[in-house]
Amino acid sequence: MRVVIGEDEALLRQGLTLVLEQEGFDVVAAVPDAGQLLDAVARHRPDLVVTDIRMPPTHTDEGLVAALRIRSEHPDSAVVVLSQYVQRRYALELLTNRPGVGYLLKQRIADVEAFCADLRRVAAGGTALDPEVVDVLVKRARLARDDLARLTRRQREVLSLMAEGRSNAGIASRLVVTEKAVVQHSSRIYEALGLPVAVDDHRRVLAVIRYLAR
Amino acid sequence: MVTPSGTRSSRSLGRALVLLAVAVLFLGAFQLALVLPTAGADRWVHLLFVGVFWVYAAAGLMAWWRRPSNRMGALILVGGFALFTGSLANTGVPVLTALGTITATAVLAVAFHLLHAFPSGRLRSRASRLTVVAGYLVALVLQAPLYLFDPAAPAPLAVADRPDLLGLGVVVQRSAGLAVAVATTVVLARRLLRADAAHRRVLGPLFAYGIVAVLLIPAGSTLFEAVLGMPATVRAGVQAALLGGIPVAFALGVLRGGFARTGELEELGAWLGATDGARPAPAPALRRALGDESLDIVFWMPESRTWADSSGAPAHLPAPGGERSGVDVEVGGRRVGAIVYDASLIGDPELVRSAGRVVAIAVERERLTAELLASQAALLTSRARLVAAADRERRRIAQDLHDGLQVQLVLLALEAQQVANGSGSTITREQVTSLRKGIDDAAGDLRRLVHDVMPSTLIEHGLSAATEDLVDRMPVPTRLHLGITDGALPEAIESTAYFVVAEGLANALKHSRAAAFTVRIERRGDRLLVQVDDDGVGGASFHAGRGLRGLADRVEVVNGRLEMQSHAGRGTRLRAELPCVL
Repeated sequence: MRVVIGEDEALLRQGLTLVLEQEGFDVVAAVPDAGQLLDAVARHRPDLVVTDIRMPPTHTDEGLVAALRIRSEHPDSAVVVLSQYVQRRYALELLTNRPGVGYLLKQRIADVEAFCADLRRVAAGGTALDPEVVDVLVKRARLARDDLARLTRRQREVLSLMAEGRSNAGIASRLVVTEKAVVQHSSRIYEALGLPVAVDDHRRVLAVIRYLAR
Repeated sequence: MVTPSGTRSSRSLGRALVLLAVAVLFLGAFQLALVLPTAGADRWVHLLFVGVFWVYAAAGLMAWWRRPSNRMGALILVGGFALFTGSLANTGVPVLTALGTITATAVLAVAFHLLHAFPSGRLRSRASRLTVVAGYLVALVLQAPLYLFDPAAPAPLAVADRPDLLGLGVVVQRSAGLAVAVATTVVLARRLLRADAAHRRVLGPLFAYGIVAVLLIPAGSTLFEAVLGMPATVRAGVQAALLGGIPVAFALGVLRGGFARTGELEELGAWLGATDGARPAPAPALRRALGDESLDIVFWMPESRTWADSSGAPAHLPAPGGERSGVDVEVGGRRVGAIVYDASLIGDPELVRSAGRVVAIAVERERLTAELLASQAALLTSRARLVAAADRERRRIAQDLHDGLQVQLVLLALEAQQVANGSGSTITREQVTSLRKGIDDAAGDLRRLVHDVMPSTLIEHGLSAATEDLVDRMPVPTRLHLGITDGALPEAIESTAYFVVAEGLANALKHSRAAAFTVRIERRGDRLLVQVDDDGVGGASFHAGRGLRGLADRVEVVNGRLEMQSHAGRGTRLRAELPCVL
């Protein structure tokens, strides 16, 4: 899988390159700012772009802007945005109807296995939303509405993992239950929250996030 | 501070005076055209009267032009017009003759007025005002019987042939005129007595000449004929000369010598004599006295060796040679301030300097106030600098932690994970993985710490994103009303507003036991309203926490206002009003 990396911190850029190469990714370019990132993506047409949200020159949300542009100009390149600090607003901006996006805390890189699994899922057209953002979304929704309270604790866990973009198999292995149990949980969740039954994982994520952000 | 308004008004005044001059020339020529063709031997008398009219006008216009703040010029001009209308009686045109008959003695009333108003052009005492009004009544109202009952008067004016009433009218008008002259003499004599010797030397002859002239002109006809046996034409010549002397004398008085100054300084003296509470600032008094609306006073700050305005803000003296000039005001040889005036309006800096001497003590008093205000402003600025420095420091710390420590923790955790993955021993692998998780937790703590010091969201995305984020993470239902445009507010206002919300929510969370919070940030005109409400137990005190006091300082530094309303059982409201422009 061909990857382009955008990260202004040199050490982290190298570390990330190293880790991804060890895990079998083909890092075709690693650049320090959004302008070079867009150039590299246009040149290499990678399967996946991993970019820091905050990059020169303004150190605000260049990475996010670049990510949205890449998603619309190069639909074949999936994008994972990394950030020191995650925010609901940016998660919602990233999660458009087009699949293949991820929004993760930088700290998640360290758990290489889980991180690379997230990257692969996004590259395959899935979604990866950081648990911390999901946590914010769920807590907020719980404070604002009653219907979440009707869910059991386990159902809420399943809901959160669904929002993170995980498949039923992924949720099952995370919660150490059978996939069948996950399917049962999720159909009850759909029923309790009045969510439309989604045909694929990405649509499921969108439905859940839209519900939570309502 | 330097405005060209003074020059502009002097230019428009100039244009107006030129127009007046043209009008005067035209009126005089018009009268001559009417009377000369039919006049016989006494045509030179007509010439003389028009000449005297022109002398009045010239003297009045000159005084007005050179002393725009002094009303004497205008008054002399009015005298000229009164003379002009009075002399219309000789034109033979019925309407003009009637007008001339009615206003025959108006010029004498104006002459009284001039005597009382000299040198400033204003009537300064009640006695003067009464006398002058009486003069106009005598000249315009008591004149009526002289034409109403005189069959020789022009047709529409004479209503009856009553020689008895006519005679009575003449006596009444003469006596009343005499009374006005006596009153004027008394008022002027008292003024002479009060004046200093130098002024008395000039005022005395002027007043004497004026009084004699206004007495002789009406009495002249009888006196000159009966006593001196003068022919009519010579009498008219003497009258015209006496009349023509009046404007010249007064215009010279206004233009030369110390009278312009006296008139203006007299007003300043009156201002100084006003009781302390009623006395306004010296600048308006100077503006009024010197007739320069653009005049201003700047104050000398000896410590910083700079100029300041009355609010203590830095000011500058105009560059020499420009349209505006500055004249120092000194107290005991020490510079306390300067008067900045329009040099094209006031030609004589000595006049401004003398005015400055009159108000010097008052200027010194104002200077002290300005100095106090300046040091208060400096104090505020230094507080603002302290808060800004603290903010900068917070930003720097947040940035350093963000760029340095956080990145290092990611790399450390990454390395630990690599070690774990590369290790053959399960125990080592588990140990190193737990080390990695420990590092992750530390990174999480650091993230929250950085966020508390100065949220990166605020620096990078602004107030609404940062507030949204803050509200997102509240464990109590919190409604957020945002009515601002991102990027429209200064950094210091955004961060102050943010800390008001953060502190308000933190306090509410700690003490209020509320079930819901409401945060409102909205722009109202040029103010930013920041408000945190809760529906909790209330009874919070503004002075309870260090946080709130620090917050109040921060709000005050940006010229904002912070207040708290908290009644037991009725919830708490923390409300800040901040300026949208610094």
